[in-house]
Amino acid sequence: MTKHPDEQRLELLQGTLDMLILRTLQWGPQHGHGIGQAIRARSDELLKVETGSLYPALHRLVKRGWLKPEWGVSEANQRAKYYRLTTAGKAQLSREQDRWSQLVDAIGRIMNPAPASKE
Amino acid sequence: MRPDQHDLDEEIRGHLALSIKERIERGEDPTSARLAALKEFGNVTLTRDSMRGVWRHRWLDAAEALARDIRFALRALLHAKGLAATVVVTLALGIGANAAIFSVVRGVLLRPLVNRDEDRLIYIRQSAPGLGAENTTFSVPELNDLKSRVTTISAFGDFSTVDFAMVGLGGEPRMVKAGVVGGSFFDVMGLRPVLGRLLNEHDDGPKAAGAAVLTYRFWTTSLNSDPTVIGKTVRLGPRTATVVGVLEPSVPYPADTEIIANVVTSPHHLGATMVTSRVHRMTELFGRLAPGASLEAARAELTAVHAGMMREHPEAYSAKADVQLRVTKLRDQIASPARTILLVLLAAAAVVFVIACSNVANLILARSVRREGELAVRAALGAGSGALRRTLLAESLVLCGAGAVLGVVLARPLVAMVARYAARFSVRALEVTVDPSVLWIGAGLAMAAAVLLAYVPRLPSPHAPAGLGLTSGSVRITPGTNRRLRMFATTQIAFSFVLLAGAGMLLATLVAMQTASTGYNMRQVLAFDIPASVTSLGDAKAINFYQEATRGISRLPGVEGVAVGSFVPWRDAGSLGPGFQFTVEGYKPADGEENPRARMRMVAPRFFAVLGVPLLAGRDFTDDDRRGTEPVTIVSQSIAQRLFPNGDAVNRHLTWTDPVFAIFGKPVPSRIVGVVADVDDENVVPGPALTVYQPAWQIGVAGRLFVHATGDPYALVPAVTRVIREISADQPVERAATLEDVRAEVLSPERLNAFVFSGFAGIALLIAVVGVAGVLAFSVSARTREFGIRLAVGSAPRQLLGRVLSEGAQIAAIGIAAGAAGGYGLARVAASFFGHVQLPGALPVMGAAAVLIGAAVVASLMPAARASRVDVLQALRSE
Repeated sequence: MTKHPDEQRLELLQGTLDMLILRTLQWGPQHGHGIGQAIRARSDELLKVETGSLYPALHRLVKRGWLKPEWGVSEANQRAKYYRLTTAGKAQLSREQDRWSQLVDAIGRIMNPAPASKE
Repeated sequence: MRPDQHDLDEEIRGHLALSIKERIERGEDPTSARLAALKEFGNVTLTRDSMRGVWRHRWLDAAEALARDIRFALRALLHAKGLAATVVVTLALGIGANAAIFSVVRGVLLRPLVNRDEDRLIYIRQSAPGLGAENTTFSVPELNDLKSRVTTISAFGDFSTVDFAMVGLGGEPRMVKAGVVGGSFFDVMGLRPVLGRLLNEHDDGPKAAGAAVLTYRFWTTSLNSDPTVIGKTVRLGPRTATVVGVLEPSVPYPADTEIIANVVTSPHHLGATMVTSRVHRMTELFGRLAPGASLEAARAELTAVHAGMMREHPEAYSAKADVQLRVTKLRDQIASPARTILLVLLAAAAVVFVIACSNVANLILARSVRREGELAVRAALGAGSGALRRTLLAESLVLCGAGAVLGVVLARPLVAMVARYAARFSVRALEVTVDPSVLWIGAGLAMAAAVLLAYVPRLPSPHAPAGLGLTSGSVRITPGTNRRLRMFATTQIAFSFVLLAGAGMLLATLVAMQTASTGYNMRQVLAFDIPASVTSLGDAKAINFYQEATRGISRLPGVEGVAVGSFVPWRDAGSLGPGFQFTVEGYKPADGEENPRARMRMVAPRFFAVLGVPLLAGRDFTDDDRRGTEPVTIVSQSIAQRLFPNGDAVNRHLTWTDPVFAIFGKPVPSRIVGVVADVDDENVVPGPALTVYQPAWQIGVAGRLFVHATGDPYALVPAVTRVIREISADQPVERAATLEDVRAEVLSPERLNAFVFSGFAGIALLIAVVGVAGVLAFSVSARTREFGIRLAVGSAPRQLLGRVLSEGAQIAAIGIAAGAAGGYGLARVAASFFGHVQLPGALPVMGAAAVLIGAAVVASLMPAARASRVDVLQALRSE
C-alpha cells in the first residue's frame, strides 16, 4: 500500500458519499470507522472520508430508512454501532449506481467528444 | 428512533478507540496514536452537532428561520415607530373591545347558574299582552290550581316581593326590598346556605315563627360578613323575624332583595284577600321538572291546565287582557333582557374589529409598497416567494402580537365597564370577570389578522423584470394598489357610518325623551318616599301622621307647597299594575267591548297645585274630603273627553267595577268634583292618560310626599327629614329627588345605551379618519411627480388642494352610500330574526353622513396641503 501525499487525494464529488456508503455496506454490516477505512482502502487511499461528513451521512441514511443501526462489539472490544443495509437501501443503491453511470457517461461524452464521422 | 446524546457520544468514542487501536497495532506509541486519532477525527463537537442536525425536524428549521425573521422585523419596525404604534393601538382597540364584549356575553348568556341541576329549573310567567302587562304574576288560588293539577313539575316554589320597613340590622330604620317565600322555594331553586340554614316547609303557615335568610350580597356588603348575625331578631314592619341563615352567592331573581323571609312575616300574605282572591296577583312562580319530563312536555301541560283554569273562572281573565302563560328555563329567562343588547354590542364590536383590520391592512399595504425595492432586492438574491411571505408574516405577527397583548390588557377595564353597563339588563353581569378564554380569543383574532395581513401585499413577480424596482429608490404606485387602498378606506367609512347612524338614532331618541314636555313642574318639585308601613296602612293614625307632616313641612322657609300622593311619576311606573276597570253613570260600552281601564292614584289636597298640573274644571280635594264624608273623585282630561263628550263630567258619578275590588263588597259610586290636565306618570314620553284621582284622606295613604321649593330643592332635604322624624322617630325618609332627576334616573339605561354605542362609533370614526388620512398621504407622496408636472404646466396650488380634498370627500361619499345600502340590508336581515328593528330617522342619518364627510375633509387637509406645496423642480428631478 503506497501512501499518497495529501494533495493527491481527491475531493469527494457532492452526492456520491451516500452511494459509496451503501456500496460498502453491501458486504455486510460495518461500523462508522470500518466504513471510512473501507472506502479509503478500496480507492487506493485516493478518497478519504472526513468523519465530520461520514457520521451525519450515516444518520441521514438511517433516517431515510436505507440503513438500520444495531449495537455490537467491535474488534477493539468496544461497544460500536454497526450499520446494516436494508431492502430499501439495496434498491436505492441500484438506483444511485444507474444514475452514476449515466452521469459518468454524460460527462465522458462532453470531455472526450467522439468524432462526428463515427456516428 | 432518534439517537440521544449518549448514543452519539458512544458511537464517536467507539470510532476513536478503533482508530487508536489500529495505530498502536501499526507500531505507534499510545500517546501519539491517541493524538493522531483525535486530529484525524477533527472537531468532535462540530460533528456531533451536525449529526443531531440530521435528526431534527423540518419545522424546527422553519421556526428558526421565522425567529430570525421576527428579530429582523423588530429591527425594521423600530425604524417605523409611528406606523407600528398606529397599527398596534388600532388592533388593540379592536381586539380589546371584542374580548371584553365576548367575556360579558359568555358570562351573561352562556354560563350555567350555580343552582343545583339548573337545567331542570324552570320559570313560569303569566302575562296580559292585551293590557300591556308583561308580567301579571300569579294569585294564590291560581297557584293552588297549578300545583294540584300539573304532573310534569315535581315541585313549585313561590316568591313575592314586599317592601318592609326594617329596624335592627345596621344603621337607621329603612325600607328594604324583601322576598316572601313558601317553604319549598329554596329546595326548588336548588340553593344552599353559606351559614345557618335556609327556609323549609316547617317555616310555612300562620303559626310558624318569623324567620329570615340574608342574601349573600347584603351580608357581605352591609354587614361585613358578620357571622354573629345568625339568631338576631329584626323588626320587619309590624312583625319580627329571626335571622336563620345566609344564602350562597346566586343570581337574585326575580328581584334583588336584601332578605328573604317566610310567609308569617307579611300580614298581607295571611289575609283573606291574598288567600282567596283569584285576581290578587303578586307571586312569581318557579318549578323543577319532574324526572323524565322535558321542558316541552311541561310547557304543554301547564298551558293546557292554565287554559282550563281560565275557562272555569272567566270573570278573572277578561278576553281583552288576552292572558297567556310562558314557560322557560330560568337561565334563559334571566338572560333574555340582556340578549338583544349584548348581541347588538357584539355586532358593534365585530364592526370595530373589521374597521381596525382594514385600517391596519391599509397601513401595511402602503408600507409594503414603499418596501417594494427591498423585496425586489431580496427576490433577486434568491429569496423564494415563501421566504418573502415569511418576512411579511413575521412583521405582521410582531405587530398583531403586540396589538393582542395590549388588547388583552385593555380588556380588563373594558370588561368592568361593560359589565356594569350590562348589569342594568341582567344581574348576572355583576359576576363577570375577564376569563382565560379571552386570552385565546385575543390570540386567535391576532393570528387571523396577522395571516390575513401577510397576504395583502403584492410580491415582486418572478416573471416581471425586476430592474425597475431595483434601480429606482422612489415609490411607485400601481393602479391596483391604489384601488385596494381606497377600497379599504371606503370599507372603514361604510362601517363607521353604520355605527354612527345607530349611535345617532339612540341619541335622538334620548334627547326626545329627555326634552319631552311632561306637564309637571320638573325643577322645583322634590319627591320623597315616606312609606306608610311603619304606621300601618290606611288607619286614622297614618292619616294624622301625613297631615301633621304636611303642616310641619309647609311652615319651613323656602317651601311653597306640600302634598301627599301615592305615586312618584316614572319612578313608581308599573307598581300599581295596568289599571282597573271602571264605569261612569250613563255610559254603556259598545257590544263586545269591556269597561274602560284607568290608573288609580291617591292624592291629598293641593297635590295638583304643588306638581304644577292645571285644574280644568270643578274643584280640588279639600281637608273636608275625609273618612265618612261623600265619596268624591277627580278625573283626567282624557276621561272627561272620552266618556262625557258633552263636557259635563263634573257632578256625575264614577264606579270601580274591576274584579280586584270585589273583595271589598259592592262598589260605591263617587261623585266627580274636578277635571285636571292629562299627565302621564307611567311613561317619560307622555301619551293620553286615563287617570282617576281619589282623595288620600278618604281612601287611605300610600306614602309619597311632594314639596314645591322656591329655592334649591335639595337644600330642603335635611329640614324635611327632621320634621318627619320629630313626628315619628322610626319613619324612613328616602329617595329625595326632583322630578327632573327622577326622569334622568329612569332614562339612565337609555343614556348608557347611547353612551356605549357612541363610544364604539367614536372609536370607529377615529380609526376611519386615520385610514383616510393615511391613504391620501400615501397617494400624495407617491404622486409628487404628477403634482410637479401639474404645477409646471400651470395648475394653481389651490386647485391641487381642492383636488386632494375632493378625493377624500369622494372616498367618504362612496363609503357612506355603501354603508347606507349595507346598513339597510343588515336591518332587513336583523328584522327577520328579531321581529322589529328600528331604523334611524333622517336626522341621525344626515348627521352621521355630515360628520363623516367633515371628518374625511379634515383628514385630507394635511396631505392636500403637502400636495399644493410640492417643489416643482425637485419633483421633476426626483426620477
